[in-house]
Amino acid sequence: MPQDAPPIQLASGEPSPAGAARTVKVWDVPTRLFHWSLVALVATGALTGLFTPEWWMGVHVWAGYGMVGLITFRIVWGVFGPEYSRVVSFVYPPRSTLEHMRGLLMLRPPHYVGHNPTGALMVFALAGVLIALVTTGLLALGGEEKQGPLALVVGYSLGSGAKRVHHALTQLLLLMSMLHVAGVVTESVLTGDNLVRAIVTGWKTLPPEAPHPTPRPARPWAAAALTAALAGCAALGIGWVARQPPPHGLRAVPRNATYDKECGTCHDAHAPSLLPAASWAGIMLGLQDHFGEDASLPPETTQALAVWLVGSAAETFDTEAANRFRTVAPASPHRITATPYWVRKHAEIAPAVFKRERIKSRVNCSGCHRDASSGRFDDQAITIPEG
Amino acid sequence: MKTWSLLAVAASAGLVASVALAEPRRDAILADLREQAKKEDPRFAGFSAERGATLYRATHQGKDGPISCSTCHGSTPLGNGQTRLGKAIDPMAVSKNPARYTDSANVEKWFKRNCTEVLGRGCTATEKGDFITFMSGQ
Ligand code: HEC
Ligand code: HEC
Ligand code: HEC
Repeated sequence: MPQDAPPIQLASGEPSPAGAARTVKVWDVPTRLFHWSLVALVATGALTGLFTPEWWMGVHVWAGYGMVGLITFRIVWGVFGPEYSRVVSFVYPPRSTLEHMRGLLMLRPPHYVGHNPTGALMVFALAGVLIALVTTGLLALGGEEKQGPLALVVGYSLGSGAKRVHHALTQLLLLMSMLHVAGVVTESVLTGDNLVRAIVTGWKTLPPEAPHPTPRPARPWAAAALTAALAGCAALGIGWVARQPPPHGLRAVPRNATYDKECGTCHDAHAPSLLPAASWAGIMLGLQDHFGEDASLPPETTQALAVWLVGSAAETFDTEAANRFRTVAPASPHRITATPYWVRKHAEIAPAVFKRERIKSRVNCSGCHRDASSGRFDDQAITIPEG
Repeated sequence: MKTWSLLAVAASAGLVASVALAEPRRDAILADLREQAKKEDPRFAGFSAERGATLYRATHQGKDGPISCSTCHGSTPLGNGQTRLGKAIDPMAVSKNPARYTDSANVEKWFKRNCTEVLGRGCTATEKGDFITFMSGQ
């Protein structure tokens, strides 16, 4: 402990009924801001992940980026922040933790100025789950949606595995947040120390018998230097990732003027990545009776388009849509709109919506998906027109 | 002043003439249709824009209910149309869309599809010529 530690800050003018209660500044402004911003971002993330329609995904992703920033800040502040924000100040030996828990069971937990040992365990657990949550979120975003910093390096299967873990962690985090609040309330009641007020105002009341703490001050310059170093590493990492050759999942759909002309007049020219090769071959063999209409073409045009479609079919892309639409409905293998995934994703849209003037039909994907021609089908690019 | 207006008149006349003449391909399509029409109907006496207009608007019983050319191509050939699957169709009138009826394979392909769809049979050469004549005057 440094010799030049400043004396404990005492609140001036605080009424002290017993004459002995002292107040001490425990949570500084950055730590309090961190705490409440994190609460706001977790709430935003949970709402946009669990309840809002898919096109809120952009907000969800930004809440995630915000959390990455907050967690990074908190780790830095955990090294160079003021006394009670430092991680070392709330790492306790197992004996103290057991003692505190025993005290809790006997409804007489020992008093701690900063985090108590049981609370500290929850803090570490919450931090671990949050880090895992943003990591799996970034993996899912890159692998499944082909967005974000990892889009170029994560494949679909890893991304979709990460998404499942992300969902499980969400449930866990919500459960832990409730436990955390319950713990805060219990502790406040048992010790008479209002922990909620402490994380709002920063001040805590010391019981008369508590030892006089000698807190270490923050080292903002060291913190700034470490933050700059971390940001530099992140930039280098993202720069490296961005130089990797794009996997086939990201290649642009090659434009084909003949396809646009011959298959893009009655309906959108569907991106070839939306059906597997066998389906395209089947469609091209049956153009005379194309879903009840005559879409026949001269043999050489049919042949050329079939070769192009089969060569750019779903199997050759790694986007989420391409991966999902590889599984077609056995009864109508030529329809994207009959695939189990399409049916599931559009089950909640009323049939009347598809009849709206600017949509007209379920086959008109671009009526609602602004990026339909690219075959990406990003969540953020969905708008259902009103009329 | 006089020379200027003369020049302007001459220029616009030239422009009109060039627009009308610019489409030898459409004229060739019409000429082919005229030959065919004469073969199909010995009493054939030229295409009629009026009959073309009637063909455009007449409603028939299609396989999914009433249908006419204007169902997809719009109530007026000067405006945009829309397929039943929601895809926009450019205007059919030549004045709005000078590239219309210039690619004979494309014209034949769509007459085949759309006449079958609307009339339940292929169009006769007379009907096709009437239709293009009507559209050329629009
Ligand atoms: C003459 C108009 C017409 C042309 C030209 C046409 N289609 Fe279609 N297509 C249709 C109709 C009608 C449907 C059925 C729409 C419905 O069920 O509402 C359809 C449906 C489809 C579907 C299935 C959509 C679904 O339900 O998931 C695919 C795929 C498709 N067409 C591909 C093609 C390809 C490839 C070409 C070019 C070779 C082509 N179409 C040209 C009229 C056309
Ligand atoms: C009426 C508007 C509408 C039309 C037309 C439409 N979609 Fe969608 N689509 C939606 C909505 C809304 C969602 C989001 C559903 C949800 O909340 O899970 C969606 C979701 C999707 C998804 C999943 C996106 C993701 O990452 O979760 C895919 C892929 C997709 N649609 C493909 C298609 C294809 C292909 C077509 C055309 C054959 C089509 N859609 C036509 C409205 C539409
Ligand atoms: C089911 C919708 C539909 C109906 C009904 C329909 N058409 Fe079309 N028609 C189209 C589409 C789609 C195109 C191609 C789009 C384009 O050329 O811009 C087209 C193109 C054409 C063309 C080719 C124009 C060109 O540029 O060469 C002709 C000719 C034509 N239609 C005639 C008719 C006639 C005659 C009827 C009525 C007997 C009719 N259509 C009814 C959908 C329709």
